Amino acid sequence: MAASVDTFSSRLKDAQVKLAMIALVLMMCSTCVDVALRFLFNKPIHGAYDIVEACLVVFVFHGMSASFFARKNIVIDVIDSIVAPHVERVLVRLSDVVSIGLLVLITVAMITPASQAYDYGDRKLELGLQIWVLWVFAIVGMIGTLLCALGPLARRVPPPRPALHGDEEGRA
Amino acid sequence: MSVQWVGAFGILGLFALLFFRIPVWAALVIAGLVGNTVINGWPAAFATLGTTPFDVANSYPLSVIPLFILMGDVASSTRLSADLFNAARVLLSGVRGGLAVAAIGASACFGAVCGSSIATAATMSRIALPEMRKASYDDGLAAGAIAAGGSIGILVPPSIILVIYGAIAEQSVPKLFAAALLPALILTAAYVFLALLTAHLNPKLAPIGEATTWRDRIAALRQPWQFVLLFTMTIGGIYGGIFSPTEAAALGAFGAIVLGVIGRRLAMAQLLQAVEGAVVTAALLFAIIIGATYFANFVVQTQLPQLLAGAAKSLHLPGLAVMMIIIVAYVAIGCFLEGIGMVLITVPVFLPLVVQYGYDPVWFSIIVVIVVELGLIHPPVGMNLFVIQAQVPDIRLGAIYRGILPFLIAPFVLLALLLLFPQLALWLPKVLYG
Repeated sequence: MAASVDTFSSRLKDAQVKLAMIALVLMMCSTCVDVALRFLFNKPIHGAYDIVEACLVVFVFHGMSASFFARKNIVIDVIDSIVAPHVERVLVRLSDVVSIGLLVLITVAMITPASQAYDYGDRKLELGLQIWVLWVFAIVGMIGTLLCALGPLARRVPPPRPALHGDEEGRA
Repeated sequence: MSVQWVGAFGILGLFALLFFRIPVWAALVIAGLVGNTVINGWPAAFATLGTTPFDVANSYPLSVIPLFILMGDVASSTRLSADLFNAARVLLSGVRGGLAVAAIGASACFGAVCGSSIATAATMSRIALPEMRKASYDDGLAAGAIAAGGSIGILVPPSIILVIYGAIAEQSVPKLFAAALLPALILTAAYVFLALLTAHLNPKLAPIGEATTWRDRIAALRQPWQFVLLFTMTIGGIYGGIFSPTEAAALGAFGAIVLGVIGRRLAMAQLLQAVEGAVVTAALLFAIIIGATYFANFVVQTQLPQLLAGAAKSLHLPGLAVMMIIIVAYVAIGCFLEGIGMVLITVPVFLPLVVQYGYDPVWFSIIVVIVVELGLIHPPVGMNLFVIQAQVPDIRLGAIYRGILPFLIAPFVLLALLLLFPQLALWLPKVLYG
């Protein structure tokens, strides 16, 4: 059961990350084309800002799944050098559960504004894109991230590492 | 209970959650949720919780973050850093401490296209450290120069921390980038001076290598043309008012890909890896930004910054003393909190206080980045030091700690200069943007 949850989360994470990668490349390309057309022909892409914002929504809500799946969210791990390894494992599990609880709460909280966007028919200024469509991408992304966050729960907590603080990806 | 007390307990609760290994984004959301609920009630707190993530993700100015990260990840995959170091190494051959200076200079330049201190330190330790060891440099000096040089990466534009600061402090990113340039140059010069001085005072630490001909040196200048092109296009474009930060970042990322492909240094697999790396890193930052935005919404309502300002004024503390206290607090917090989290948690509290004392938010951004940078290199917890040790495990951490000590003078001197002469940060934004 645990293995199948992990496999499902892994596949879902791969799909979501691919979607986020497409959104990122689209963001880059649309901006470059917009700049090129503006400089060369004085005709920028209509709705370039809206395209970037829409891609960013897809990027953020689907890209997050990877860090939740791999337990890569930034933590302050000073306590690791103070407590016994089994206490550290309990704290890691606790942070998994807290993350999942908050993801559920945020996802539920997003439903009302999403339905309001649908009811009021809010649109993007330039493209005229219905904003509820973006809310759907956001909520689906959050649900996916939530399911990916179940992956770590299905796995054993890895053995303690030498204590470092900060972002493992090296972004600071 | 007054809102100020709610604010104080909220911040204490946040630190308690962080201490117990709750992820930074989650700790910020919990503290914000509890605080907002106490002040406004559950329905309002819950409603804001639902809209904040979408508002953050639907923000055009923040699109600059993943695009600059993509540019940095692609640049890291294309041996740009090796070109920079080799050019500096040849130029400075025959100078005592020249390799250490080359590592610092190359790190500063690479930071300009990479935007990450830790990635710069990791990359340069793979490239420059073996060269310095081959030249019989002292391990401590070599590691110290790389750690210090790497730390410049978050100050020299384009700095991701400055973009995030701009978003939470509602400041123009081009102005912040302009403000960072002169302090970054001063800091680089100070690190170079300290490396040369250390080598001069103890020649055994840095033996002189063989000098190359001037013809070779001039030829070496041509090597890092890709860096010059990328830097001119992105930062030059922003400074010149030609591109917005998002446009510059997109062009920079695209340019880095094109240069990598043309130079046959970027295979499809590497490109896909760089894009995936950028997705993971940027999305992780966005989770924290969402948490911090929600937390900041709570902090603003607590009027805690006004309380702090009132307390400081009732004690008749001058602005300089307040700034000194803030800097000491940042250095202390930097011992256990990573840079971006530190900025996101503290700026909503400290910035209104700083502004009330008449300081410029643009100037304060540079102070914040320098103290974050300090947190990356000061023992015993500086992340750059661990990164170097992870790359070259046979260097003892003690040697790295010893090697970084002389370089710690530079950020403190720069902080003092900025406190005494704020124009060091404010002059260029004024010239460029009025």
